[in-house]
Amino acid sequence: MRRERYQSGPLVWLSIVAATSLLLFLFQKILWLVVPFLLALIGYYLLYPVQQRLVLAGTSRDAAAALVSGGAFAVGGGGMLLAFPWISAHLVAWQDVAARYIAGGLRFIAETLAWAESNSSFAAKAHLSDQLTQHINALGEHLAGTYLTDAALTAAAWFPSLLLAPFLAFFFLRDGWRFKMFLIRAVPNAFFERTLYLVDQVDRTARLYFQGLIKLTVLDALCLACGLWLIGVSAPLTLGLLTAVLAWVPYVGSILGCLLVVLVAATDFPGDPAVAYAAIGLFIWVRLLDDFFFMPMTIGRSLKLHPLLTVVMIFVGGAVAGVAGLMLVLPLLGIAMVLGETVGEIVTDTRLRARHTFGQELRQRQATRDLQA
Amino acid sequence: MLKLFAKRQPAQRLADLKKLSLFVDLSRREMKIVDGFMHERNYLENEIVFDEGDEGQAIYFILAGRVLICPQGQPQAPIATLERGNFFGELALLDDAPRVAQARAAQDCTLAVFFRGDFLELMQSHALIASKIAFQLARHLGARLRASVRREQAQ
Repeated sequence: MRRERYQSGPLVWLSIVAATSLLLFLFQKILWLVVPFLLALIGYYLLYPVQQRLVLAGTSRDAAAALVSGGAFAVGGGGMLLAFPWISAHLVAWQDVAARYIAGGLRFIAETLAWAESNSSFAAKAHLSDQLTQHINALGEHLAGTYLTDAALTAAAWFPSLLLAPFLAFFFLRDGWRFKMFLIRAVPNAFFERTLYLVDQVDRTARLYFQGLIKLTVLDALCLACGLWLIGVSAPLTLGLLTAVLAWVPYVGSILGCLLVVLVAATDFPGDPAVAYAAIGLFIWVRLLDDFFFMPMTIGRSLKLHPLLTVVMIFVGGAVAGVAGLMLVLPLLGIAMVLGETVGEIVTDTRLRARHTFGQELRQRQATRDLQA
Repeated sequence: MLKLFAKRQPAQRLADLKKLSLFVDLSRREMKIVDGFMHERNYLENEIVFDEGDEGQAIYFILAGRVLICPQGQPQAPIATLERGNFFGELALLDDAPRVAQARAAQDCTLAVFFRGDFLELMQSHALIASKIAFQLARHLGARLRASVRREQAQ
């Protein structure tokens, strides 16, 4: 007497898309909490296997969580403390380096446009290189006064909320399973097994997504670092890691990463534009590798989304919540999808609802037995 | 607030679970790990635990009370009546095949529930514990198969 397997209808899918969009809209309002929460989740999924190893070795879950979190705090905090004097000593030099790389990148773009204007009458009529030079001059005048001050203030405002991330990660490790049990205890008996499955699927989706994201970042960073090292660009590993992390933001992050690589390549080899073009080529190659090979191997497996829906939802995420929306839309959609499909399955199951009503009647009868007598 | 998340009687439940044949090979430390995955549910007399045809997701251990295993909607023709210390729905640990019978509480009962997803996680994170449980499960299913063959031969 196996029941027909449930298939979500258009109403459920519409609800999933609407719920994802609504969540994105709400999340962008509390981004100060959502970002540390996400970082904490990444930390949690990174540290979880280590905690499990300790539990297997005989440590209690609480002690393992404390040990793993303490170790991570010590490494992270100690690293920051040790790096602080070095960072302060090099800050001024880095400022000069950043200015040099920005100037080098802009010079590369201006030279490329000038070359295009000398070879194409259409480009010459557009006077793009003149316009760019004007913009560069205007940007140069305001860069230190406006943009850098704004960036410094934003970083200072974000710092306290980012400090939440390690604490949240510790509590996820220590009490995550208790919270899961606590939630499930509130579920009526009739829906219990189905809800267990739902919670497991949400947990599995989130875990696979974040662990996939970490694997993808490592693969991207290594590929880019190898390619940049072969081309001869300076600091290949740092650049590879930075661009791989930037790629967490779909489209926008990739473009920023590419720009960063081109800036460095154009400044390191000012008289040799071929290196910058090789860096662009490398970047496109790694992106393709990422989209067609690494992504399906890592993140794609976790979400099982249709490619068209993925692309449409990325645009919806960008439109609803900007850069934050681009970053959050896929994991949110994955979780909303599992929740929506399971809730749809439970709500439309007449037998489960009847069992729940029957259970409630039994409880009511038991509670009022002496009253009726 | 964390007390809200705490379990009520872990020590007693641990002792009860340790007596079950499925967990007989587990040490106390291993048993504590398994207990961390257990959910506790209370059912009233006549309440349905699962229906025939439901997708099996979990195995149930009887901590208190009695449970009736019967064809769907026929409690008057029980296949088995299980008491404290027994378990049922064990095939759900292996796959999500439909349940072959209905389970309903013969009297008010308390059940410990072990979800298949947690068992699969146990196989990844604590392979030794999972293999001990799987071995005992195989022995249990083997004994049931032998009993069934013997019954058929007797008929």
